[in-house]
Amino acid sequence: MNAAMAPVIDLVNVVRTYGPDTPEEVRALRGINLHIAPGEYLSIAGPSGCGKTTLLNLLGLLDSPTSGEVQWDGSPVGQRSDRARARLRLEGVGFIFQRFYLLPTLTARENVELPMRALRVPRGERTRRASELLEEVGLRGRERAYPHQLSGGEEQRVAVARALANRPGLLLADEPTGELDSANTAAILSLLERVRTDRNSSLVVVTHNPEVARRAHRHIGMRDGAILEDVREA
Amino acid sequence: MIRLRRGRSLRHSRLQVVLAVVAIATAVALPVVLISVGGGVAAHELANIQNAGYQIVVSASGMHGITHAHSYTQRLLAMSGVTAASPVLSVTVDAFNHSGSVTPVLAEGVIPDQFTPTLGPAESGLFPSPLPLGDPTDSVHFANGTYTGPAAYDVLVSSPYAAKFGVLTGGKVLLSPVANRSLGISYNVTGVFGVPPTVLGPTGAFAILLPLSDLQAMSGLAGGASTTPDAADTIQIAVTGSVATNPTALNNLRADVQELFPYYGVSSLSQEAEQLQAASGVLTGFYLALSSVGLTVGLLFLALVLLRRVEADRRSIGIRRALGIPARSIAGEIVGDGAVLALTGAVAGVVCGYLIVEALAEWASAAVQEAARLAVFDPVLLSELVAGVVGLSLLAGAVATRAALRAEISEALR
Repeated sequence: MNAAMAPVIDLVNVVRTYGPDTPEEVRALRGINLHIAPGEYLSIAGPSGCGKTTLLNLLGLLDSPTSGEVQWDGSPVGQRSDRARARLRLEGVGFIFQRFYLLPTLTARENVELPMRALRVPRGERTRRASELLEEVGLRGRERAYPHQLSGGEEQRVAVARALANRPGLLLADEPTGELDSANTAAILSLLERVRTDRNSSLVVVTHNPEVARRAHRHIGMRDGAILEDVREA
Repeated sequence: MIRLRRGRSLRHSRLQVVLAVVAIATAVALPVVLISVGGGVAAHELANIQNAGYQIVVSASGMHGITHAHSYTQRLLAMSGVTAASPVLSVTVDAFNHSGSVTPVLAEGVIPDQFTPTLGPAESGLFPSPLPLGDPTDSVHFANGTYTGPAAYDVLVSSPYAAKFGVLTGGKVLLSPVANRSLGISYNVTGVFGVPPTVLGPTGAFAILLPLSDLQAMSGLAGGASTTPDAADTIQIAVTGSVATNPTALNNLRADVQELFPYYGVSSLSQEAEQLQAASGVLTGFYLALSSVGLTVGLLFLALVLLRRVEADRRSIGIRRALGIPARSIAGEIVGDGAVLALTGAVAGVVCGYLIVEALAEWASAAVQEAARLAVFDPVLLSELVAGVVGLSLLAGAVATRAALRAEISEALR
């Protein structure tokens, strides 16, 4: 299984409105323009409800803009079929969700194997790789545990292992260390950063934690669906 | 692993799953019972027809409607291809045995040397050969329709009758067309014949066989101003092997016989077999149509179970889609779950149907027991039934899949 190349991502005047033309209309993003080069390490920060998760969903092709365009390597992804977008997600994106989103009916190892199985990785290889990833996130011996048998921190680490399973070019993490203590936070971030460096992956982290944000090389601040600041470290 | 995961997802809502399986099993068991028993009885009757020793039968509407049976027999025997023509008259008479008890019996009057060749292979071993009924041609007593010749007064009794009333060969039995001993005629019991298996129950097993002219005279069907002369119910015609195995020749002979008896019904047993098969096919279709109501309810229940499962697993499905799991893979799991449930229900239904038939054969009333014992479980038909149920479950799965994949991923994850 080969690692996916990190894509060049461009968001052009992206607007995302929930429930348009209804009394409950919410403008989550208001004309976002953003360029992410391969291998970049970004943090996105901002108050709750400012559109961070919506932006992350658009970057990861989980959602489509109401207007504007999301481009991968210069090509608008909105014009691709659902099937092609699913394939891009499977091969190219590793998601770490805020609420873990592990499948409750699968063991930790089966959760990690899930994306590899969809890519038809041979059973022996995916089992070996899942075990290696779980060991890397410090869950050796917990392979057969179900999510309800894991602590919040352990669940988050399984989610990280699952995100790395298909060696994606783009890693998207929504509060990846929210449930972890400081030692585990450092370990997980180190792992993500090492993966990013080894494979020249792009890493986008949404966080409230200044310590986590500080580790990134580019900092984006958001408020009310707009980017207020975009700071690159020298 | 897929199987493991599917098993877990099905356990998710165990009660609904059990109810869906029970609904489908019930819906499948009904046609299994109806088709297997109905098909078995039809197959049995078909085998009886195909194993008969005669190939053409002449019959008349109404009881004892054929007249001049002896003379028509002679005319039929003169036709090319005919090897035997056996008129049969069936009348219920009262039999008084030596112990003084009386019971109704089915008396069949036949011409002995014509009757034996019309027996099929399954029946021929049940009768003594030649039939010990005096005059083989029944012409002496008949005496050209005057019935003035000496009668033999010989009779064969069925083995169930002989066993029930202790009647032995060499004994006597008094026969009367009405329940009046003083009008009875004493007959010599010259032998016992076996009774083939029947679905009619034991009443048809009390039977006697005697010369046609004797029965005609005893029952008032010999002739006269107010009665049918020389009556019979049917004339069974056996043909040569070359005619029997050639449908065209058999049909031509049937047409010739029909020409001889334009006012009687003439049919070949192959026609009757075809009619029986057609009727059996219609009945099978009717049973399936009847059962489709139950199947529809079962499958609607299955669709509801799948829809509820999709609703309960909304987030899990959203997670899979977010990870990039192909929609067809998610659809495959939902449809597969439905197919597993339907297959389980259908197989359970077939097993239940089989057990019901076995129970009927063991504990039901005599006639139902006989029918149930003839049940045939056609593996092809049962497989088609199961496949049909599974096929329809795919539709239910498709409905649930559509619901599962309709929501946006970000919505499903909320």
